This record gives sequence, structure tokens and C-alpha cells, in this order.
Amino acid sequence: MISKIKEAYNQAIFDTDKNAALRIVHEALQKGVTPETIVFNVVVPSIEYMTTSIRQNFGASLAQHFMTAQIAAQVTDEMLAMFSTPSKIIGKLVIGTSQGDFHGLGKKIVIGCLKAQMIESVDLGLNVSAEKFVNEAINHQAQVIGISSMMLHTARGENACLGVRKILIEKELERKIKIIVGGAPYRYDHELYKSVKADAWAENGIAAGKVIAQLISEVQP
Amino acid sequence: MITGMERLIAAANGQKSDRIPVFCNLLDQGAKELGLSLKEYYSKGEYVAEGQLKMREKYGYDNLWSLFYVGKEAELLGCKNIIYSDYGPPNVGHMVIRKPEDIHKLEIPDDILSHPKFEETLKCLQILKRESDGKYPICCYLTASMAMPSLLMGMEKWIDMLLSGPADLRDELLLKTSDFFKKQLAAYKAAGANIFLYSNPFGSLDFVPNKLFEEFSIPWIRKDIESIDPKSLVYYCGGARMNPVIDRVIKKFGFGTFYLSPFDDISEGKQIIAGRALCAGVINDIKLIAWTKTEIKTEVKRMLDAGMQGDRFFFGTLVMPLAIPEENIRTMLDAVYDYGSYK
Repeated sequence: MISKIKEAYNQAIFDTDKNAALRIVHEALQKGVTPETIVFNVVVPSIEYMTTSIRQNFGASLAQHFMTAQIAAQVTDEMLAMFSTPSKIIGKLVIGTSQGDFHGLGKKIVIGCLKAQMIESVDLGLNVSAEKFVNEAINHQAQVIGISSMMLHTARGENACLGVRKILIEKELERKIKIIVGGAPYRYDHELYKSVKADAWAENGIAAGKVIAQLISEVQP
Repeated sequence: MITGMERLIAAANGQKSDRIPVFCNLLDQGAKELGLSLKEYYSKGEYVAEGQLKMREKYGYDNLWSLFYVGKEAELLGCKNIIYSDYGPPNVGHMVIRKPEDIHKLEIPDDILSHPKFEETLKCLQILKRESDGKYPICCYLTASMAMPSLLMGMEKWIDMLLSGPADLRDELLLKTSDFFKKQLAAYKAAGANIFLYSNPFGSLDFVPNKLFEEFSIPWIRKDIESIDPKSLVYYCGGARMNPVIDRVIKKFGFGTFYLSPFDDISEGKQIIAGRALCAGVINDIKLIAWTKTEIKTEVKRMLDAGMQGDRFFFGTLVMPLAIPEENIRTMLDAVYDYGSYK
């Protein structure tokens, strides 16, 4: 039964049909499928399925990424409230756009997908300074800082990832807090994340979850 | 001496001139040429025109731009704050549409030419027209109806509205932005522009799945260009790929030029176009920042080997980042002039 639900849910996501996706989830609940199964066996695999299809064909569309994240976040929120035992969060991320950058779509997609993967995210908003990224990561005990940039100069700026790295070195936090970057400039130059001194990059918001989970596992407590 | 306009006309007609046309899109670099900050530079049409003319003269490419920065279109519709940086293009800092009522209130100016926010662009166009004297094509950048809402309300809110409605509000907004597109195009045409870039990321399957492309993108492209000669328009998806839709777009609309994405396969694009339109092969210009001279020449040669099979081809860039070293711009252009020569 689950494979049929998964298939129908994936199709709804591909068709960017939110109502259909939600209907499939609610019908599954009525048939006795547990909320835990819906999150971990339907929603999370659908994110992975989208990631795979992106790799195979350079990109499912931005609209599909957006819808995947939005539905994943909505369904997960609803299901978490019905879990038989509270879910275990595997880690935490603070995320925002770099200073001077006002394009928030990418981070929104990341946040939506992370929820289902039991990674908590704190949205720092747009135009975030290097100091704020680090201070908020410390305050929230986050293992990862996510920096999204839509424009090249806001990705390369001294107060973006380079600035965050500088502060992490000064505060001797490099082993405790990792940096992931993403956004359009990184898709045009796959080596750019190295020159801005990030630990990793993700090609899109959908793929970011796995990279962030990996970074969390690398962090020394 | 052959001019940029002659090169372009020859290429559009499937003929050979001395070399392929070269569109090098330097915008912010004009400020550096004039020794001004970006904010000062973009404050006056005279500065932008002078920057464009100086850079074209200095590097020898074939086009001129009347575009200041993309957010300037939002200013015509009420955007009150543009955020400047010393390192890259200005950003829209005020969203005109924040709540549904703002869509009802949105007014499209009837006469763009006399709009105060068009004054500097108009000055720029008049100078470019006078100084270029028809020798070099003057490009203008026009955001399509489906893309304009992202400048007015942010991409996140716009995609949400596009996908999930409310449909009546979405359609009301699109009718207005389509009207704006037509009025802007008429203004630029009257002021002397002769290359009209139709910028529409939503015209790419990288942005919308095929179903939405058919359901929204096709009808709104049709609406935008209903009274315009499509041969005068350049199909451009803001750097997103277009090969998968080119055939449909030609059959349905007959655009005269396709300005590919750096991620489109040039050979494939040309095969799909099959001589029905002009095709620009576009370099991944972010890589120009770090590439060596050898890497730049190798990439240009690869692109031109693919694009110069057959006719109706030219070389283009996206909006060149300010961080590209001047010598790399020269290396790229010298390589295009060399490998792109018909002599």
C-alpha cells in the first residue's frame, strides 16, 4: 500500500498539485497509515526522489522544488503533532541570505525540506551579516550555518561566507560549526564554494538536506 | 569598416560578414570607466550612455545597452528603494506588492516615455542613438509579464501565487504586467532601441514543469507579443536553459533570435533552430573570473566550433560580473574575434 501512496504523492508533487498531495496524505491516514510512516516513508523519500530526478536531468523545475518543500513542510508539521512519541531532532541549522542579498526563495526551499528530515532550522531572514550568522549559530547551538546568495558579489563579499569563516577561526569554532552555501552563482561555478571558504555547497534547496545531514555528522560535539 | 549593425544584419540573413557578431554585456563596468561609484553612475542617463559608448569603443564588440539595472523597471511601477553596492548590480529594496490590495492598486503608466522614472533611460537612449548613428544595435531589456511580478512582490510570493492562487488575483496581476511589457516596448522602440530582449525565466522548463509551461507560459507569451513583430524579439530565459522549448516557441510565435543559456548545448540548440532564427551561444561568464587565458581561449573555441556550423550564429555573454579582470574580458573577445573570423 505504501508504495502506491508514495507513487501518487510523487506524481502530485511533480504536477505541483498541493491539494492532490494533501488529499493523498489524509486518505492514507484514514486508511490507518501512521503519521510517522507518512513522514519517513512518503515525504522524505519524495524529497530524495526529486533529488535523484534533478541529478539525472539537471533539474526538475524551480516550481517543483518550491512545491516539494512547501508540501513537505506542511505535511510534516501536521504529522509531527500526531506522532506517538516526540520526534528526535538530529541537528540544527541557522540559515539566511548573505549581506546585500534579498532573494529568499532558495532558503525557503531548504527550510521546507529539512523539517521532514528532522533537522531544525532557524530562519535569520534576508541581508544577514557575518557577525549575525555566527552569533545566532552560537545562541541556537546550531551545527551548521547556511548562507544563500543569488548574486555573485553577495556570494563573494567579505561580509558573506568569507566573513563567517574569519569569525569562526577567531572564535576557534571551526570544528563545532560548519558552513554550507548555495544559490545561483554556485551553480555556474562549482569550485566557488572553495574560494569563499565554505565546507560544502548544494546545487539546490532540495539537495541541501543530505549535505547538511552529512555536515552535522562531521561536527565535533 | 564594417559596423556591428551590418554584422548583425548579415548574420540574421544567413550571410557572412568579416566575423560573427559579438554581444558583450558590460553594465556595471561603465562606472569604473568613468571613475564613479555605481550609485552615481546610474543616477544619470548621460553617464550610462558615455560608459556604454566608451566600453564598446575600447573593446570593439558590437552592441550597446540602454539597460541600467533590472530593478529599474520596478521603479516605473512604484518601487521606492533601490539598494546599491560597490561590488555588483543594484537590488530592489522595496516590494511594491505586499498584500492583495496592492495588486488592485497597481497602476501601469499610460505614457512611459514621459514618466519621470524613465527620464534618465530616455536621455541615455537619445545619446546612444545620436552617437551610434545606426552603426551599433541598441539593446533594451524587457521583463515578460510572467517574470515581472517577482520584481514587485519577490520570487517566493510570486511562485506561491502562480502555483496556488488565488487565480483571480494572479490573472489580474499578469494582465497588468503584460500591459506594462507592451507599453515599455513601445517606449523603447520610439526612443530608438532596436534589439528587444524578451526576458522570461518562466519560458524555460528549468523554472516551470511542462504542464505549467503549456498552461501559463505559452498563453502569457502570446498575450505579451500579440501586437508585436516577433522577429524583432530576442527570446531569453534569464540564463535558464531553453533548448527543450525552442521548437515549440518558434512554431507558435516565430521569435527572431534565441539567446541560449550557458548550460544549453549549442550544437543541439542550432539543430533545433534549424536556420529558422538567429542563435546566440552564451559563455558562462562567472567562470571568466578565475579561468586562465588558455582556459578562456579553449572554451571560446569549443563554443564557436559548435555554433559556427551552418549560419545565423553570434557570440554572447550574460551580464558580465564586475569581478572579471579586464585582461580576461580582452582575452575572451580576442579569442572570439580570432576564431569567429570568416576571413
